[in-house]
Amino acid sequence: MFTSKSEQQTKDIANDFAKTLKGGEVIELVGDLGTGKTVFVRGIAQAFGSDARVKSPTFTIMNEYPVKAQQVKKVIHIDLYRFNDASQLSALELDEVMTADSVVCIEWPDIFGQSPFHPTHRIKIDHVDEETREIEIESLS
Amino acid sequence: MRILGIESSCDETAIALVTGKGDWLKVENSTVLSQIQTHQQYGGVVPEVAAREHLAAIFPMLERELPFDGQGIDAIAVTSGPGLAPALRVGVEVAKALAWSWGAPLIPVCHMEGHVYASWLPRSKRLFPFFPQRVPKFPALSLIVSGGHTELVMMHDHGKFERIGETLDDAAGEAFDKVAKMLGLQYPGGPNIARLAVGGNKTAFDFPRGMIERDDFTFSFSGIKTSVLYTLRKNEDKLDDAKFKSDIAASFQEAVVDVLTQKSMRAIEQYKPKSFILAGGVAANIELRNRIIKEGERRVTRVFVPPFSYSVDNAAMIAAAGYFRARNPKNFIEPVDLVADSNMDIV
Repeated sequence: MFTSKSEQQTKDIANDFAKTLKGGEVIELVGDLGTGKTVFVRGIAQAFGSDARVKSPTFTIMNEYPVKAQQVKKVIHIDLYRFNDASQLSALELDEVMTADSVVCIEWPDIFGQSPFHPTHRIKIDHVDEETREIEIESLS
Repeated sequence: MRILGIESSCDETAIALVTGKGDWLKVENSTVLSQIQTHQQYGGVVPEVAAREHLAAIFPMLERELPFDGQGIDAIAVTSGPGLAPALRVGVEVAKALAWSWGAPLIPVCHMEGHVYASWLPRSKRLFPFFPQRVPKFPALSLIVSGGHTELVMMHDHGKFERIGETLDDAAGEAFDKVAKMLGLQYPGGPNIARLAVGGNKTAFDFPRGMIERDDFTFSFSGIKTSVLYTLRKNEDKLDDAKFKSDIAASFQEAVVDVLTQKSMRAIEQYKPKSFILAGGVAANIELRNRIIKEGERRVTRVFVPPFSYSVDNAAMIAAAGYFRARNPKNFIEPVDLVADSNMDIV
């Protein structure tokens, strides 16, 4: 359990976490609006040396950030906030996207009930107050 | 020159037929899937996110609206990015197949460029307007603002864009959508917030105007989202009070419109364009349009705001962009070489 009092601290926590990743991971990010899920993904992408503009994928659904690390070639950032049901997932062609050299981050994985994914990690971020968040990193494999 | 436009970058499937002569365009047909469904159903339109419907819809739409042997079509313009790769690929592959079988030149178009070119589309339905329609003059400055994008772009000439600023996190349209959800409003969030804001007190709450003190043209809307959330949490007892919610909506809308307008005006003062173009779905917001037009026209020759049907995703704007791209044969591509690019950039 980590406490973050700023966007930078969230990114630092994400940076340390990213150092444990080898490619092929599927990471769920769970937390209310404004907890810093996208900030966390920004931290991961930056840890892999990406200078990509990591922005909210709520409307784009899926963003892909090329990175230049040894084992990881891209960070895929998915946001299911606008989805209504699981049948829409097939449109994402996730099998092609979840590869051994990619790290996939999914926001709102449980938007229609139980998450249909088999994540390797789950990051839970909770509001404590306006400036403070609690971040829990769970390894599931 | 008659251009077939195809768009399928995310939610929408759209096709259009646009004829251009000189700098003037005429839209013969602009068909957008979600609009067809409006006529066929009695409820509201549910956005088909990541439309798996793209593939099912596109051929019936083409068959119904076009001369299917490609007679009279001089070129095909298709959104090749940015967007959701599987959705983009439907439009791209269909465009490639048609270009190949009709022997028609193929032009890849950036979706954002399409939004800017929506201002070249005719605003009047009259076939013979008394005066030819004014079109933007270069250099033009555009604020592209939608659910997925918020950026300021200089257009030095046809096809010559320079990004001068963008959002670091959320797009303005997304902020509208999420705040609408917090207030219990239905889809579509933006128009419903605008409606709720009518009669509300826009100074009741001082929501953060992200990045407004910074001299540059960066935007940020994730902070205002959290600020509204906390205000609602601190006032849980007022959540049934219609006046309270109306004040929240009005104050939120005011904060967003403030930032978008102020940054745009500062950009006009710095870059001194001859025209200003408001582009993207959020251009439909009346407060934003009015503020931008009022303050913009004090500073530039003309402010352009396309009609709503061309502000939201559509293929007429793609055909318009394609028409001007077609002036330079270097912008054509062999069908076999065209690949959808989810990260395509306007610059």
